[in-house]
Amino acid sequence: MVEAKSVEARSNRQYFTSYEETGELRSSAGESSRERSLVERLKAGDTDAFDAIFHQNVNQVYRRALRLLGNEADAEDVVQEVFLTVHKKAKTFRGAAEFSTWLYRLTVNAALGKLRRQKRSKEVLYDDYLPKFQKDGHHLVRPVVDWSDKVDDRSDQRELQRLLGQALEQLKPMDKAVVVLSDLEGYLDREIGKTLGLSVAAVKTRLHRSRLFLRGKLAVHLGYSPA
Amino acid sequence: MAKQTRSKRAGTCKQATSLITDYLTGTLDPEITNELEHHLGVCPDCVAFLKTYKKTIQVTQSLLLSGNLPELERSKQKALHKSIGSHNERG
Ligand SMILES: [Zn+2]
Repeated sequence: MVEAKSVEARSNRQYFTSYEETGELRSSAGESSRERSLVERLKAGDTDAFDAIFHQNVNQVYRRALRLLGNEADAEDVVQEVFLTVHKKAKTFRGAAEFSTWLYRLTVNAALGKLRRQKRSKEVLYDDYLPKFQKDGHHLVRPVVDWSDKVDDRSDQRELQRLLGQALEQLKPMDKAVVVLSDLEGYLDREIGKTLGLSVAAVKTRLHRSRLFLRGKLAVHLGYSPA
Repeated sequence: MAKQTRSKRAGTCKQATSLITDYLTGTLDPEITNELEHHLGVCPDCVAFLKTYKKTIQVTQSLLLSGNLPELERSKQKALHKSIGSHNERG
């Protein structure tokens, strides 16, 4: 079972909570016996079971891929790739992880593969948007301005969203995957690491640098230093 | 900015900034949390930084959740489902 981060630890994340309430993230109760029996039938080669599993999960796989990839055609390719793998490899699925976890990992990895092949707009140097420090460890540019209220006040919310959307596209594929899985889907660093083949420390580092980059982009857009 | 605090791990703005992710998820060692909070108590620069960092996460989440993601159209579901079947007949 993929664990979601505790709601308490994420109490500042109102969107995560409301998303969870929609039920699109699996319940923490684990898979029902009905799901388990479907998976058993699937492993035995039952095509009706495959059909049921396809229809139950196709939209979740599609949306997850769409969120990572940002375009429908690529997300459809991921759906096809994932369910082909499910069809072919169901027999070898040992149930060491739950089926939902397996499906989630297949989806993320298929999307990541696509993401890596997508042409990105020209490479952006993160460093230009990261905070800088003096030798003694103080912020380089002081005072650091708290512009957090400015974000809500602005009339050009669309422009802000467009800018942030663009900044997300400028992240390295692996970094974008980490941000989406962590900040949106609420997975634990450990689980993200397992899925993406990264150590927990590497997940944390990528998440932090990506957020700093996005923060820097917002700061510059609002007329402040990223430092 | 704060005078140099007694801390070694969260005493400077650079150190404090590097701890934000763990701080926000509550996975920071309690002793270091205390050090970081002590630093935040005397350093308005880091307080401002933390607020804008949190705001960035919030805006990112709202962007990623905005514009309700569509379902895969029924016709495309059918086509994909069919293509998987035919792939497997061949394979
Ligand atoms: Zn500071």
